[in-house]
Formats: sequence, structure tokens, C-alpha cells
Amino acid sequence: MLNIWSLAIVAIGVGFLGSLIGIGGASILVPILVLFGIPVKEAIACGMVAIIATSSGSAATFVRAHIANIKVGMYLEMFTILGAIAGATITTYIHPTYLYFFFAAFLLTSFLKFRESMTKEFVPSPTQDKVSRWLGLHGSYYDAAKKEEVEYKVTNAIQGGIGMLGAGLAAGMLGIGAGAFKVTIHEYILKMPPKVSSTTSSFVIGITALAGVSVYLFSGLLNLTLMAPLAIGTTIGAVGGGRVLNHLNNRTLRILFFIVVTFLIVQMLFKGFASL
Amino acid sequence: MKTNRPDNSEDKFEKVISYLLMTGVVLSIMLEVIGVVMFYHAYGNLNISQQPGMFIKGHDFFSFIYRQIQNRSTTTPTLLFMIAGIVVLILTPYIRVIASFLYFSWQKNWKYVIFTLFVLIVVMLSLTLH
Repeated sequence: MLNIWSLAIVAIGVGFLGSLIGIGGASILVPILVLFGIPVKEAIACGMVAIIATSSGSAATFVRAHIANIKVGMYLEMFTILGAIAGATITTYIHPTYLYFFFAAFLLTSFLKFRESMTKEFVPSPTQDKVSRWLGLHGSYYDAAKKEEVEYKVTNAIQGGIGMLGAGLAAGMLGIGAGAFKVTIHEYILKMPPKVSSTTSSFVIGITALAGVSVYLFSGLLNLTLMAPLAIGTTIGAVGGGRVLNHLNNRTLRILFFIVVTFLIVQMLFKGFASL
Repeated sequence: MKTNRPDNSEDKFEKVISYLLMTGVVLSIMLEVIGVVMFYHAYGNLNISQQPGMFIKGHDFFSFIYRQIQNRSTTTPTLLFMIAGIVVLILTPYIRVIASFLYFSWQKNWKYVIFTLFVLIVVMLSLTLH
């Protein structure tokens, strides 16, 4: 039986995994909560706490270690929060069935790209477009697994911003942090190194989740006995993950991400077919 | 060799952001742990409760905080600690955006002043409206 104690233990694992691959963990926690008899709307509302806790807990370490790129995060936050608010608004007008299939298709693209890149080492973009240069979107970090300084230039800032608007839309419509969407955009559009990509996603998802706070408060679905273990567990897990991430190689992180994306695709398709 | 490593002031800024986030999550955990311990003392179990008293509700985030401060004498200490932990957790990324706005203003980096101000306004509106 799920109680405060056991939920906190589960949340530690989810927070740990979330901080490694740049997701908030709500998409993993919500089905677990529902499985143990928590009403789905209540589970989604309380999942917001897990996203914020994972984001702040892991970003505290990533920012200090220079792995998360604050400027990239600040720039992308503008798009993702707008998308999240738009998503939360239009979700009442669009039948959720279409959303599930649309986002499953998007994640499938991400799945294929990640499978393709599984055997390849990340190669930083040698060039940078004018807008990205003007925004100062570049950086470097010390990779503890490679034992070397990795320098990179972020490119395609405009396309990345539009992509993040879509990721925010997904977050607002589905009540998740949409970290998996963000990581894909970071890596394949903005050409960010995998570790910078997942840590910057962790940094951003907390802000995306804030967009839903008042809506959930007004709905009266926020259960203190659910949020307490989620907050405690995911924070501890995320801080732990934040300390481990830099010692793992990119391939391990990609495999973990690959597993979670597969789980998310199955989840989206299941929900899509169930709502037909 | 010139690297893309942030300069000294940016480095300090990253440390401040890191401390802010860490302080927020640690304070939030402490309040939640105290709340859970008190919950156990009060109810004798750690079950996830579906009692109406365990659900929080408010018109919006800021008016909710205001109402909690006003009604602090009538709310049980257990619930007060649990609510305070959640409020601190939610405020943590919000304060991080305020700190970023102040830093970029001080640095006269107007591009990022506009970006952070935009995020700040949107977040504030989303916390004020529902």
C-alpha cells in the first residue's frame, strides 16, 4: 500500500532519474499514483510539485558546476512559459485524443534520432548563426567522465525558441514538465552537448511548472499528504542525481533517456487509444 | 587559450543562483519533514489522506499565501508546516528569476533584462490569475 513513507522512497528514484536526463518526473509519477488509486486529476496536480522540486534540486548543483547554461535557459524560458499558458488554455477546446497522438508522434521522432545517435559521440557545432551569437549562447564545462573541458556554441536560436513554444504547449496541455521534448530540441535543433542539454532542461522545467500553480490551487486538487512525500523524495533524488551526472558518460545518459522516451511513447499511445 | 568559461561576475552570479536554489529546497524539505513527523504524531499513521482538510484551495497563489498568514492561528501546526514547505518550494524558482533580473540589470545586459522581465511578468500573472 502506498503511504507517505513509500511514496517518498519512490520519489527519490524518480527525482534521481529526472535530474540525470532532464525531466521533471511527473510523467513517471502520475501513472504510479493512479495505479495506487489516486484520482488522475489529483495525481497530475500534485505532480507539479515533483517537477519544481526536481528542477530546483538538480539545478542547484548543475548551475554551480557550470554544466547548465543559464543564458540559454533564460532565453528559452520565455518561449516555454508562453507555450505552457497557451497549452493550459486551449486544452479545454481540443479533444485530448489528438494531443496524445500528436505528442506520441513527436516523441517517436526523438526516439529514432536518439537511436541513431546512440553509437555516435557528440560533435559540437563548429559554426553559430548570427542571432545565437548576438544572444551570447555559448559556454564550456568540465566533463568529469571525459576528464576534459568541453566547449560548445549553441546555434539555431530562433528555431529552438519556436520548438520550445511547442514543448511548453505540451507541458500546459498534458500537465507535465515536458523535459523529454526540451532535451530533444536542445540536442537536435540547438546542438547542445547531451549533459548541457539535460541540465539546462532541468533548469527550465521548474518555470514551466509554475504556470499551472494557480490553476491547480483554484481546482482544490492539491493534497498535502501527496505533495509532502513528493517534495521530500524528488528533491533528495534530484540533488543526488545532480552530483552523479557529470561522472557518467554521454552514452549511459542517452540509454536512460531512450528508455524513458520509449515509456512515454507507450503511455501517450495507450492514453490516446483509451480516449478514442 | 580563450575559453567560453563565464567571467568572474557571471561565475559569482551562478554561485548565487545555486545557493538560492539550494536554500529554497533545503528549507522546503525541512518544513515538509517537520510537517510529516507532526502528521504522524497527530494521526498515528502515514497514510495518504483523502480527507477534505488535507486539500489546499485558493483563488490564486499570492492570495492563498495571504489567507494562510491571516488564518495562521486557526490552522493546525501540522498543516501550517506542510503548507509552508510547498509555498517555499513554489517560490524558489520564482525568486531565482527575480535574482536573475536584478543581476542582468546590474550588468546592464539589456537583452537579458528584457528576457527575465518578460518571464517575471508572465510568471507573476500566472501566479496571480487562474
